[in-house]
Amino acid sequence: MKLTLHIWRQKDANDKGILETHIADDVSEDMSFLEMLDVLNEDLILQDKEPVTFDHDCREGICGTCSLTINGRPHGHEKATTTCQLHMRKFTDGEEIFIEPFRAKAFPVIKDLVVDRSPFERIMQAGGFISIHTGAAQDANALPISKINAELAMDAAACIGCGACVAACPNGAAMLFVSAKVSQFALLPQGQPERQKRALAMVNKMDAEGFGACTNHYECEASCPKEVSVRFIAKLNREFLGASLFEH
Amino acid sequence: MGLFSYLKSTILSKIVMAGTGVILVLFVFGHMVGNLQILIGREVFNTYAHFLQSLGELLWLVRIFLFICLILHIITAIRLYFLNKSTKPAKYQVKAYVRSTLSSRTMIYGGIAIFLFLVYHLLHFTAGVADSSIYGHVERYGPLGIFERQDAYYMVIAGFRSVPVSLIYIVGVIFLAMHLNHSVQSMFQTLSIAGPRLTPVIVRFSRIFAFIVATGYILMPLTIMLGIVGGGL
Amino acid sequence: MRLESGIPSGPLKDKWDKHRFEMKLINPANKRKYSIIVVGTGLAGGAAAASFAELGYNVKAFTYNDSPRRAHSISAQGGINSAKNYQNDGDSIWRLFYDTIKGGDFRSREANVYRLAQVSTNIIDQCVAQGVPFARDYGGLLANRSFGGAQVARTFYARGQTGQQLLLGAYSALSRMIGAGKVEMHNRKEMMDIVLIDGVARGIVTRDLTNGKIESFEADAICLATGGYGNVFFLSTNAQACNVTAAFRAYKKGALFANPCYTQIHPTCIPVSGDHQSKLTLMSESLRNDGRIWVPMKKGDNRPPNQIPENERDYFLERKYPSFGNLSPRDISSRSAQEVCDEGRGVSVTGYGVYLDFEDAIGRLGKETIEERYGNLFEMYERITGDDPYSTPMQIYPASHYTMGGLWVDYNLMSTIPGLHVLGEANFSDHGANRLGASALMQGLADGYFVIPYTIANYLAQGKLDKAGTDHPEFKKAEQEVKEKINKFLSINGKRTPTSFHRELGQLVWDNVGMGRNEAGLRKMLEKIPAIREEFWDNLKVTGRSEDMNMVIEKAGRVADFLEFAEIMAWDALEREESCGAHFREEHQTEDGEALRDDEKFSHVAAWEYKGVGNKPLRHREELEFENVKLAVRSYK
Repeated sequence: MKLTLHIWRQKDANDKGILETHIADDVSEDMSFLEMLDVLNEDLILQDKEPVTFDHDCREGICGTCSLTINGRPHGHEKATTTCQLHMRKFTDGEEIFIEPFRAKAFPVIKDLVVDRSPFERIMQAGGFISIHTGAAQDANALPISKINAELAMDAAACIGCGACVAACPNGAAMLFVSAKVSQFALLPQGQPERQKRALAMVNKMDAEGFGACTNHYECEASCPKEVSVRFIAKLNREFLGASLFEH
Repeated sequence: MGLFSYLKSTILSKIVMAGTGVILVLFVFGHMVGNLQILIGREVFNTYAHFLQSLGELLWLVRIFLFICLILHIITAIRLYFLNKSTKPAKYQVKAYVRSTLSSRTMIYGGIAIFLFLVYHLLHFTAGVADSSIYGHVERYGPLGIFERQDAYYMVIAGFRSVPVSLIYIVGVIFLAMHLNHSVQSMFQTLSIAGPRLTPVIVRFSRIFAFIVATGYILMPLTIMLGIVGGGL
Repeated sequence: MRLESGIPSGPLKDKWDKHRFEMKLINPANKRKYSIIVVGTGLAGGAAAASFAELGYNVKAFTYNDSPRRAHSISAQGGINSAKNYQNDGDSIWRLFYDTIKGGDFRSREANVYRLAQVSTNIIDQCVAQGVPFARDYGGLLANRSFGGAQVARTFYARGQTGQQLLLGAYSALSRMIGAGKVEMHNRKEMMDIVLIDGVARGIVTRDLTNGKIESFEADAICLATGGYGNVFFLSTNAQACNVTAAFRAYKKGALFANPCYTQIHPTCIPVSGDHQSKLTLMSESLRNDGRIWVPMKKGDNRPPNQIPENERDYFLERKYPSFGNLSPRDISSRSAQEVCDEGRGVSVTGYGVYLDFEDAIGRLGKETIEERYGNLFEMYERITGDDPYSTPMQIYPASHYTMGGLWVDYNLMSTIPGLHVLGEANFSDHGANRLGASALMQGLADGYFVIPYTIANYLAQGKLDKAGTDHPEFKKAEQEVKEKINKFLSINGKRTPTSFHRELGQLVWDNVGMGRNEAGLRKMLEKIPAIREEFWDNLKVTGRSEDMNMVIEKAGRVADFLEFAEIMAWDALEREESCGAHFREEHQTEDGEALRDDEKFSHVAAWEYKGVGNKPLRHREELEFENVKLAVRSYK
């Protein structure tokens, strides 16, 4: 396959950035998207040019590190797929591909396609946990949890924290990410003692970090590689409203 | 805590959008049902209009309540618009949308259009400023015509006889329907009435609702403009 | 050097209790006067950092990722073992202990493994309390499955994402402590060297990956939880950034490296598809519970799998190991797959692959059940290969997956450098020559939550060290060396990329210290590595600047260490003249091709001491004493 790649190059957060065009002319359809970029980068290094910097790690779709916007869609056009799991057989010979970083004010570009997603860290630190210290737990089976709730909690917990929801959202909102964590714990009995506190702390932190507001476009759900449902955003609204009204 | 401190919170803001939205949607629907009585005839329509007028203070209470909802809706919308605009300082060179719709992405513009239309509508029919010739007519009714009341029927028929006026209304209603198409289902989602089975139903309902509202409201200017209703006046 | 494992005396069952009582404590009010550096924030590091902070220590934690949640622990799919015996099927702490010792082919310490089995039950309690959504039965209680050859169902799981959920549990605990100000978290900082003052580990030197800044950090104790070295093979199931650098720096500063030749090859990975391949993807071992493994009977049979009739298929694991069949241990399954492929009966584009077939299982259980059990794995497989496992058999082949070897540690998880502790996959301690499925998560969390928080106090309580300050000459010297090394990378300006060296080295290691090893191959490898290393320092091309985010520099540094490290793997494999667990020396096998252990000569841990680049390291021995189990020949027939 031969492809024309338009890749975003940006030296650092202050640089304006520009799309740079490269031709990849020996692309195998068995390559993953990132392997295609690896091959390009090897060539660039040998030509004494700086390779394209992009984030990636596990390459099996679970660590949430990779973060490319491909043809205007975070993680590309394949449903429920991270960039690293997107394979070149999903593209056609001669195609033009635009590769950009995840864009949002809260995620400034560090270099090229690498962005700073530390706001997610701070949201987690504000309340994304159950306060239990090591060793304090009771027997694991002392607390039966209905299979339905356990499964639903797992649906929410499947979030890999990649930030595609923010990148896809026309409003740069982080509701899907926050709602997944808040819902996971709100669905489990272990999460009840801090339920209201958590919802308030995480949402307030989210607002303070400069994310936008949800207007229910649902672009987040469509881009989520783990198909985290927007029903959790609905749940988050209820959790937050309840906490705002009734928190002591 | 000031009255508008909720604006600092994204979620409270959208809950206010949805909450006021519910009121406004109910009003829009009720208003439509009421107005459709014009298709039945002068007697029924004027009775309805007179009933509303006769509510007196209560009518004003409702009006003030609706006005407050509207203002909150608008203020919150403006605040969210600027917030959401600020979160994407660098635009994508190429952007593909998947689930969002034209309606959902143009809420603010649709909203502005609806607001302008609303101002015109109030000036036109409620205050009678836009066209004073249609306003202030009186209908005599009852045995021997001993009672008199405002002739709302005449006002509407005469108003919509004008093709430009009717067209303005039709366009305004199309904006309204587009707004509702997204906002009705959005309201449910924001108010946490959502689920994997429920949401698709609500989305469909939202679409159908918008269509019904559009049809209902367009029916009046359209039939009058074409002389199908009120032709004998 | 005499290796003191420090195993407490007394009956096996009481050792850990007794030891916990005998260890020194630190007064709660004094804990805040101590600081601990934790490098790596996966299961072991994350759990340790959070637990230390909860106890009151000041923690500085480091990861080269942009978040602790990205650590490669996240990729573990199958589950975590625990001796809960919730299924009433005869499990016990003793059985988990015995299975682990036996699974490790009697090359691990009894006391360590017993402790691991003991605390395994606490881990599940802890994780559930953190909100980890383990799979449950309709009654609301925890579900279990049998995993990786175990004959009891003791594996807890969260769909195919158990590692992710456990890591997110540890990450949430860590996040809480970061938020509370008790952990100073350093994301995107890679440890470049370790600093010893008067022979004691006192700090680390890091490189900020966003701007290249070289910094020093000091503490009273250091924990390395930096994972395994599986990427020495270039192609492995490890994440791209996984490397041996932190452990290798410690080794070069005097820590012994134990059993580096014990590397686990996982039998169920997606085969290589071409030269562009950057990693191999593991398909959870749980697939072997229902899938049947086979190859065509005939060599070079190119028919599509569906057209090969039943009697022309060789279900080689079921044939050779009737009682365990497709669930035979990882090393046996892997080696058998290689054998049939070497015979020319392999499938896939390269001829190195075997079928994993679900046709029978779908017929027996229905597609729905299979979908419920493996749906996300099947989807993942289809995404990568383009084939639908519901209708055509999967193709799998073994790949490097986990490394049992690691820095030598005593019972307290301290290396031979005082103050330097090593946790999780980075140490060598619990899995012997082979790790059981679903035991890596268990060990990482055991070390992090339930072992090191106790044992580190014992070290710290020996006396408060005077503050040296990061201006101390040893820190400055280490910083200088790191800078010089990076400048060297940038100045060579040769013609080969770091990746090309890595690929070349990886192939060499895979061919010679992969599934089967022999003397000739190992000697050849030991001859070749210095030449590659020489070329590396002569012909390397690194672009860009050291002051920017520069992934070529990062890669070069990691490859440089692999190029030295591969040699000790080869030495270890060469000198361990027996076959045990994952280490299969072709010279040492029974007539029917089974591993032949030599308990008389090799019932010991080999721990290697650094003696300079290119020089043969010095081999030390820690004898393994088995007082509670009888050494038996592993038989899965």
